[in-house]
Amino acid sequence: MDSLVYVDSVSRIFPLDHRHVLAVDEANLRVEPGEFLAIAGPSGSGKSTLLNLIGCIDRPTSGRIVLDGQDTQTLKTERLAALRREKIGFVFQTFNLIPVFTAAENVEFPLLVQGVAAPERRARVAAALESVGLASRAHHRPDLLSGGERQRVAVARAIVHRPELVLADEPTANLDTQNATQLIDLMRDLNRSLGLTFIFSTHDQRLLEHTPRIVRLCDGRVVADTQAAEVNQAQLSAPAIH
Amino acid sequence: MGKFLLLAFRNVFRNRRRTSMTLLMVGGGVAGLLLVGGFFAYLLRGLRESTIHNGLGHLQIFNAEHFRRDEVHVLDTGIGNWRQVAAKTRTAAHVRGVAPRIDFYGMLSNGVKSAVFMGSAVDPDIERSMGFSPYLSAGRDLGGNENGEVEALIGTGVARSMSVKVGDGLTILAVTADGALNGIDVQIVGIVNTGYKEVDDRYLRITLPSAQRLLQTDRVTNLVVGLDTTERTDSVAAELGPRLSGFAQEMTLRKWIDLATYYKQVRTMFNGIFLFLGVIVFFMVLMASVNTILITMFERVREIGTMLAMGTPRRWVVALFMVEAGLTGVLGALVGLAAGNLLGALLNASGLHLPPPPGTTFDMHFRVLYEPGLMIASSLLVIVSLALASIWPAIRASRLQIVEALAHV
Repeated sequence: MDSLVYVDSVSRIFPLDHRHVLAVDEANLRVEPGEFLAIAGPSGSGKSTLLNLIGCIDRPTSGRIVLDGQDTQTLKTERLAALRREKIGFVFQTFNLIPVFTAAENVEFPLLVQGVAAPERRARVAAALESVGLASRAHHRPDLLSGGERQRVAVARAIVHRPELVLADEPTANLDTQNATQLIDLMRDLNRSLGLTFIFSTHDQRLLEHTPRIVRLCDGRVVADTQAAEVNQAQLSAPAIH
Repeated sequence: MGKFLLLAFRNVFRNRRRTSMTLLMVGGGVAGLLLVGGFFAYLLRGLRESTIHNGLGHLQIFNAEHFRRDEVHVLDTGIGNWRQVAAKTRTAAHVRGVAPRIDFYGMLSNGVKSAVFMGSAVDPDIERSMGFSPYLSAGRDLGGNENGEVEALIGTGVARSMSVKVGDGLTILAVTADGALNGIDVQIVGIVNTGYKEVDDRYLRITLPSAQRLLQTDRVTNLVVGLDTTERTDSVAAELGPRLSGFAQEMTLRKWIDLATYYKQVRTMFNGIFLFLGVIVFFMVLMASVNTILITMFERVREIGTMLAMGTPRRWVVALFMVEAGLTGVLGALVGLAAGNLLGALLNASGLHLPPPPGTTFDMHFRVLYEPGLMIASSLLVIVSLALASIWPAIRASRLQIVEALAHV
């Protein structure tokens, strides 16, 4: 089976004043469909940069990224946008919900961009909110939701259009322990029940403890890519705690 | 589309204080243009109707020769068969009346002093039936039947210059159609105030038969056609043109606007002033709006980055900002229309008077007319201004680098 994500000797260099910063250095990575994968490392290790490259919101300086069989280096801006629209869902550290939209309308947005018809949009939004346990909060705007609820709305938005891949950049960074735990369990549930591939960047140990595969970065280089020793098959098949 | 518009609409009211200020600015511009434009429209309409009803009429029929050459003798380019021409003209729809006129000039004398006059000779009954009655500051209008004295109306300036009043007599001297000098004595029955000093200083009006006896001719200079409404001028002119062919003398038709030189000058001046005001309002709204929209854009950088990250086409981002600006323009225009019309109504009800304009002797009401075309033009002006103001910020927003936008604080 072809990998869903293939990172092939990717580097990313940022100009900074009169020098260059090598944020990602010759990274190599393969992600199979249905995986639940963390990119871990200290601050400045290149986690978010690597995630941005995989998510096609940034371009590598060298190397290539193949997403679902498509070499993203060969795609123009509009085609990359279409690729993101169809195949990727994003969850951001700061939730990034549209403040003037309700929870339901925020979840609906990716379907609007895809041009999905209104009846189908409504049905899929309802299902997505139900899957994250927020059906009763559908008509609330973000300022009336807690941090944990906002992040769950963001997860619903990320999955409503049935993407191949969900990318989450430090999704629990702004959440307390209880909400962080709930979010992690939710993401694992969706991974198991819908077969969604999750890749997230984090240095949150709470999240890493539930992650079957961890790719560790240091100074932009992949230094380890392991099945987490403390996460074994028994933990993976254990029921989720809500 | 509906959700897109909903997003734009809600974004307009995201910062209510800022939006309120923008709406006030836009609305103020529209209201200002409505009041100024409506006042100008009132002035022009008044000038138009006074021009028409002070003697110009809606249409005038001439002998075509009148415009091809100057007169050698009095009325040699006049209309000879004017009765037949008038009769045919009266058959057209919306024609209220046809008044024969003679324009002539000569000298006035009170026996001690002489002065030049610019005279007109009319059929008073026809003139009155068409509503062409001069404004009298003393006395009465010309009578239809002159069984004794020849009656005359003079201007206020003439009365002052000649030191005469109603009931006094003057002698009129003029050159006849044969080139001889002739004179008649007239009795002043009324003193006219046209509102224009230059006209009042030379004004004389006598009856048509009196003038024809004085000038030794039965011709008239022109036929003045009065209509039931000014708005029918063009349609009646189009209808009359073919009807006036077939006479021995070639007839030509002129609309009032073709002859109202002063009116056209005033209208051009007002149009220029209004255009200047419109340009000022346009650029004020444009400059202020660019700044406001840029601030709005910077506040939403991360949100825009999120939308772009989710695959929103960049042209949607451009469209979103432009639609928001357009909506603000529409709302601002509505505010302006409401305020302008309300203020106009209040001003109209106030009974405010303005002093006489230069060259006139009457003060005037301050009134504002409601002109649908003006409302539409003013509204479109501010909507277009806002839409243009949004272009640059919208394009900037659409070109944001996604990663940088997401990292924006």
